[in-house]
Amino acid sequence: MRRFVLANATRRFFSKGIVSLSFIVLAVGIGSAGQSWAASDSMVDPAWKDYTQVSGVSGNLNSIGSDTLNNLMTLWAEGFRKEYLNVKIQIEGKGSSTAPPALIEGTAQLGPMSRQMKAKEMDKFEAKFGYKATTFPVAVDALAVYVNKDNPVQCMSMEEVDAAFSKTRRRGHSVNIDTWGKAGLDGNWKDTRVSLYGRNSASGTYGFFKKKVLKKGDYKDEVKEQPGSASVVQGVTEDRGGLGYSGIGYRTSGVRAIRLSAKSGDGCFDPTFANASAGKYPLARFLYLYVNKAPGKPLPPLVAEFLKYVYSKAGQHIVIKDGYFPLPQTLIMKKLGEM
Amino acid sequence: MSDRIKKFLSSGTLFVWFCGTAVAASLLMVGGVLLLIMVNGLGFFWPHALVEMTLTDGTRVLGELKGEEVIPHSATPEFPEGKTRVRLKVGNRDLYGLDFRWVDTEHIASADSPKDVAAFERREWGNFYGRIREVSRGEDVVATGNQEGWKALQPLIEQANDLQEEIEHLQRDVIGDINFEIEGTRLRIRELELRGQDDAREVAELQAMTSQLETQYHKHVETLRALSRQLDEYSVLLVETNGQEKRLPVGQIVKALRPNDMDFFEKILRYFMNFWSVLSEEPREANTEGGISPAIFGTVMMVLIMSVAVVPFGVLAAFYLREYAKQGLIVRVIRIAVNNLAGVPSIVFGVFGLGFFVYAVGGTIDNLFYPEALPTPTFGTGGILWASFTLALLTVPVVIVSTEEGLSAVPREYREGSLALGATKFESMLRVILPCALPGILTGLILAVARATGEVAPLMLTGVVKLAPALPLDHHFPFLHFERKFMHLGFHIFDVGFQSPNVEAAKPMVYVTTLVLVMVVIVLNLSAVALRNYMQKKFKASAV
Repeated sequence: MRRFVLANATRRFFSKGIVSLSFIVLAVGIGSAGQSWAASDSMVDPAWKDYTQVSGVSGNLNSIGSDTLNNLMTLWAEGFRKEYLNVKIQIEGKGSSTAPPALIEGTAQLGPMSRQMKAKEMDKFEAKFGYKATTFPVAVDALAVYVNKDNPVQCMSMEEVDAAFSKTRRRGHSVNIDTWGKAGLDGNWKDTRVSLYGRNSASGTYGFFKKKVLKKGDYKDEVKEQPGSASVVQGVTEDRGGLGYSGIGYRTSGVRAIRLSAKSGDGCFDPTFANASAGKYPLARFLYLYVNKAPGKPLPPLVAEFLKYVYSKAGQHIVIKDGYFPLPQTLIMKKLGEM
Repeated sequence: MSDRIKKFLSSGTLFVWFCGTAVAASLLMVGGVLLLIMVNGLGFFWPHALVEMTLTDGTRVLGELKGEEVIPHSATPEFPEGKTRVRLKVGNRDLYGLDFRWVDTEHIASADSPKDVAAFERREWGNFYGRIREVSRGEDVVATGNQEGWKALQPLIEQANDLQEEIEHLQRDVIGDINFEIEGTRLRIRELELRGQDDAREVAELQAMTSQLETQYHKHVETLRALSRQLDEYSVLLVETNGQEKRLPVGQIVKALRPNDMDFFEKILRYFMNFWSVLSEEPREANTEGGISPAIFGTVMMVLIMSVAVVPFGVLAAFYLREYAKQGLIVRVIRIAVNNLAGVPSIVFGVFGLGFFVYAVGGTIDNLFYPEALPTPTFGTGGILWASFTLALLTVPVVIVSTEEGLSAVPREYREGSLALGATKFESMLRVILPCALPGILTGLILAVARATGEVAPLMLTGVVKLAPALPLDHHFPFLHFERKFMHLGFHIFDVGFQSPNVEAAKPMVYVTTLVLVMVVIVLNLSAVALRNYMQKKFKASAV
């Protein structure tokens, strides 16, 4: 049956091949002008260290928190379990907001979060333990703004993204962008409505986007709040006028991550590793692991070894595998020193 | 005329038609859903042909054809129906960044299905599509070229898979046992300390045992390392269609196929092998690849525990309500309450389960019976027992209602006859009424099982996890580990479909899991139906 489809496709091509030849040169340019995220190799820092096993590590490790980090945590857990067969790791990822209560209640030793703890959450933690929770950045994410793969829009400024998602428009864009025409498209796109996809409020991505793009303004009521990052991408894939935000790790062939500029008139940048680490891409962020560490005392060996694994060559390769960006060794050294 | 209409209406023929239409509509909907799932799910196992295309810009694409669509608004005078594009699964995620790619049909210069290309299923990074450049052992090249390499690779992959099995056996069974014992002795020592009975001799004995176990553990870990090194001994240099190279240890390859070189029967064989491996294997790569066996196991086991919990409660409650309680206002209120309970959203039961079972009951059990394990909670965290109990609460109204129906269907003469023959009320209930009501009870169980299998929301709060490190049933005493977290097919669908990055590649997995979930529901239901029929027959015979 597959063969038939293909035969059909090629036959159609050949019958009209000559006519379409002239289109091709043009179209190839547009078609592949997408993003050539080069393979993983460019992100590898040769200074990363191999993980070395230590003895006496065993027990249960519970992790509760971000869903953006859910997959990454699972992959790390799979890798870590290969090093220590006597460790059991359980991972729940229902949103960053679930991490602080879990750390405070002690139901989890690791709290993965895709944003930093809010002052209120930190205060609660401090009230219980008398010291602040310790944070470890474990990966870099470029929060991407996705459009449908057919959408020709190339670049949006932060003001425009704000005007599309927010009803308060704190960034001061003059018009409410509710059709693609107002974002500069014409033709049949001019009157296509912008259909918004976002995350639910338990998500750290929701909070980060609200803080960074909306300047703590309010989302429009018509933003379709999705239960997971992947469903944002799914929504935009199915919806031609779709516009949504999610971690860069969730990119698929059905959507396109557009270029963003920090201010209208500034240069536009792709959400790539290079742009994120150079600070050019405006929505780059760290992904964090929060742990409960009493000052002056070492971390429990299991937690410490897990962090060391995350900061090792194997751990950072897993970051790349999951579609996020790894950390430079200089930062890793600093964080390992703090431990 | 109006007479005829009147006659038609009063004859009830219209009503029959209505009923027939309703039945047909339901059947159509059920059939449609099943068909959708099967079309999307069953295709997953078929070894699809690989297509190699040369594009007009000279680059090449190799992959599985996964669909075709018309580009919206692309109609031109030459293409009145619009231009088309095809979607290819190109794999090689480590090289390309994405598993899928859209290619406009007009950019395809030529396409064919060469016989010498292969699909490699890898343990990491998804599939690789391409050809073999060389196979080497360490630094030495063993075979060069695609054909030679292919021949050399086959036995190596088999060997590597055997090795992998040995490693898994060592990890799970041998080392797993040792770890279980180490943890047991650690808890025993801690328990003695807590009780203040840490008499030095016993503790020293336990510690000696621990260190002995640890020596064993390290010995086995060494063996394991040696085996893993053996896995990496051979490597293969693969080359994708545009000539980019990728070196891969043979241990990383699960299987290699040349789908274009397979005949129909080989493909069918492969189809069932793939099906079986999904059913029987453990998941890989954060659940997006590999099998779903722990999820199937978790689902079935949870439903069984739930059934064991729900039937006695439901039946006893129904007997009391129907046979013993004085029929009056209170009983009526209770009945209404039970019926309303069936309409409460399942997530509410989840919250109740979390608050009552997990925190209150589980926390108390931990403090009383497992103080040595604290602060790590044993029962004070979600687990299969609490999830099953929560679902039992959710389904208990169904069992109560249908048991009551069953009881009310028992003829009055039976009770009276039994009592007249001198049986006590309890005896007649046990010997006469219960057997007669059994079909009703089992119908309730069937409905309860059907509802519980598909329920996900309450489980997310009471013990389901994305990846459970151990099954709740194994060969360690006491065999059933009620406190363990578990995996569930319904949650697996949610997790893979909505939470996994690379959702495109994971999509077939969602349909496959759905298909398996439906099959599990059907099998569980059929076995309950079979049980009911068996009981019916048995009691009919004994009643005479």
